[in-house]
Amino acid sequence: MTRVTTTWATQETTSAALGALAAEGATGALSGERGIVYLSAGRVVHAESAFTPDLGALLTRSGAVPSDGWWDAVDRGGAQHRVGHRLVDSGRLAAGALEVCHLGALFDAAYFVLAHDTRAHRFRPGAVHWLGAVRSVPVDAVVRESDRRRALLDRIHPDPAIDTVPLTRVPGAGRPGLPARRGRTLTQVDGVRTAAQIASSLACRTYHILVDLRRLAADGLVAAAPPTAPQTAPVPAPGPDPAGTGWDDPDTALLRRLRDALEAL
Amino acid sequence: MANLETSLKECLSSIDGASAAALVDYTSGMALGTLGGTKEFNLEVAAAGNTDVVRAKLRTMEHLGLKEEIEDILITLSTQYHMIRLLRGRGGNGLFLYLVLDASRANLAMARHQLRRIEAELEV
Repeated sequence: MTRVTTTWATQETTSAALGALAAEGATGALSGERGIVYLSAGRVVHAESAFTPDLGALLTRSGAVPSDGWWDAVDRGGAQHRVGHRLVDSGRLAAGALEVCHLGALFDAAYFVLAHDTRAHRFRPGAVHWLGAVRSVPVDAVVRESDRRRALLDRIHPDPAIDTVPLTRVPGAGRPGLPARRGRTLTQVDGVRTAAQIASSLACRTYHILVDLRRLAADGLVAAAPPTAPQTAPVPAPGPDPAGTGWDDPDTALLRRLRDALEAL
Repeated sequence: MANLETSLKECLSSIDGASAAALVDYTSGMALGTLGGTKEFNLEVAAAGNTDVVRAKLRTMEHLGLKEEIEDILITLSTQYHMIRLLRGRGGNGLFLYLVLDASRANLAMARHQLRRIEAELEV
């Protein structure tokens, strides 16, 4: 196993820390402010962020995999980090379809981890994601794609807050003939939900929703929801866990998913 | 069951005249997988550029009020065909397969037929 030095910790940004770990061929999990990137032998194998629905949510909510089929795979394959293999081996999903969905979820989460490119929090050497190996992507490809997405979104409407905060429809704004997908996204904007929650309810990749929402914001149809006052419950925004520490632990992440699934019933 | 890489390999091996293939997300323009590109023919560039083609056609159809779906787009060059085939299915939403074919060897009807079979492996 490659010995991992602490060079990553001296880097100013998460993307630079990823670059340093890639150069060492590191395996483990790097936590940034908005999520975790999993590396295997210096390549990105998975990414998770509280700002995007995870692979399980995408697969089950789209109906591609029945909910109990997903949980069965998590039960049987989770401990050996082979949930992905389980899904394919049990015939629930074609290998190619799993890879396509996995890459979608990986790049969606990586965008959030890298768009807010602050100093990385910590690195857990040897940590492996329970999904297991599906596909790996070079670190520089992930960083480059995240940069490109950020630039594309900013070109549509330069307000990154739209990506993360609860959104509301602008009162009185007309609804001229919107393209079907954008219209569907607009119907989900209710003053409470964030882009991630809209993506989850439409079972759609988050980046696609971000593009729609930035366009709607540019057209003056959608804006950040004003904070609800007085607060009766803990502040839900910007993500389920503002401290960004609790879900660092894989078991907590699993519990969070379990809670989401129960709520979805 | 085929994974992404074997699906792309199958495009090149089972479709007559096929020389390059890519699976592309047309919202971001990113290629999820490529096979057969060369230094002279950069598939990443082709993926990004053809994303604009797909988006322009979708936008035009919306302006025209057409509620139909695009099955494929064919671009005929002097010696090549470029075929863009949009994936359906819930998870495949927003993806297209891009295929470069040698015009002198390709059979378009067969290519379409083969692609339909291969894309079924990638759809959720």
